[in-house]
Amino acid sequence: MVGFLGKIKDTLKEITYGMALHSQVTGILKTRMYIEHLFTLMVLGDMLGFPVLPPYYSLRLLPYAIPNVQKWKHRFYRERDFTDIIYG
Amino acid sequence: MRGLGEYLDKFKETKMIIFAGKGGLGKTTCSAALAYYLAVKKGKKTLCFSTDPQASLSDIFERDLFGKGEVEVAPNLYVVEIDADKRIRDYIEDVKRKIKEMYKMEEIPQEIESYIETSAVEPAMYESATYDAMVEYLVSGKYDYYIFDMPPFGHGVRMIAMAEVLSAWVEKITEAREKAREYDEIAARLRGGSPLSEDAILKELYDIRSRLSYFRDIMLDRNKTGFFMVMTPENMSILDTEKALKMFNELGLTLSGIVVNQVLPPEMINNPSPLIARRAEVQQKYLSVIKDKFGKYIVSVIPMFDREPKGLKMLEKVASYLVENPLQI
Repeated sequence: MVGFLGKIKDTLKEITYGMALHSQVTGILKTRMYIEHLFTLMVLGDMLGFPVLPPYYSLRLLPYAIPNVQKWKHRFYRERDFTDIIYG
Repeated sequence: MRGLGEYLDKFKETKMIIFAGKGGLGKTTCSAALAYYLAVKKGKKTLCFSTDPQASLSDIFERDLFGKGEVEVAPNLYVVEIDADKRIRDYIEDVKRKIKEMYKMEEIPQEIESYIETSAVEPAMYESATYDAMVEYLVSGKYDYYIFDMPPFGHGVRMIAMAEVLSAWVEKITEAREKAREYDEIAARLRGGSPLSEDAILKELYDIRSRLSYFRDIMLDRNKTGFFMVMTPENMSILDTEKALKMFNELGLTLSGIVVNQVLPPEMINNPSPLIARRAEVQQKYLSVIKDKFGKYIVSVIPMFDREPKGLKMLEKVASYLVENPLQI
């Protein structure tokens, strides 16, 4: 009985989340991705030919940035069109 | 004019003393002599560190110090002649090792590897590595005094400016990272998840920021850091010192004093050698220009010696003019 009630509770929680919060969380994560890319540009800009500062301290941060480098470069070089205005 | 001793008496909290100026005028000699005085005569644990790629501390102390780390050359007197190339190589190897360990990789991806290798050969890396070593020694707080022999003028002042530029840069990227962290936390809360673990990048950034701020705060504190220019009675040196003063003002730094080096005693004007007599005469002319232009800054005048200022005995002699009994002009 407790298990059944627990399942109902979880389902209601997920429905509420989906209806009220999911789009908000997606928006937040999208903004967070933009900030992450900006951060990567500030640290590893010279990887794309934008020298920001001597890379001594950037190299110290490089190991942590590696998982995002590909996505960041892809997004940076991606062609833009009018749909970007709509979908960001 | 009572020498650098007067300065040391007045600014008792002094931690760091920096000698700047054109190449070949005696910055390294002054740094070594002052370090000798503080360590041996005053019993203060002192580090003499040369940031000049053409440093000659090995030559002055008559032993091989290059790339050997902190070497005690006399009681309380430690000397560092940095091998910046080796420091860069070690640093690069550390970064590579960390990447391999973090991602359990045998080989670093080609793209990242070539980025690291290209960064390693950038000319600015040399300055950064030297600067980082300065910061590291100062932050360690192991010494009563840190005497830094800066590379020739333009480069030297740029090293000083670096503190401001780097601090501002680290501040900005830390801000961006903190913002990202805020968004992460909000998203995690809304999803009803558990609190996030510590952000490793933010941890590194806080560490870099605290080291740089500590260094910058000491360097910009007049009570803790003394900047001295070394010059000689020559026109080129006068012009260079004028430029340096302008740059110091632009950077918001206060010049603590000027040391005039390699001065021929005035009686040399009567020397039977026309060459020496003429040189002494020219020097006297420029000494009066120096007095007019920089009079309030002059703290010490050191004579030209009959031999190279090398070895502890000669350093003691230089130190006595530099700190206690400067030549009067």
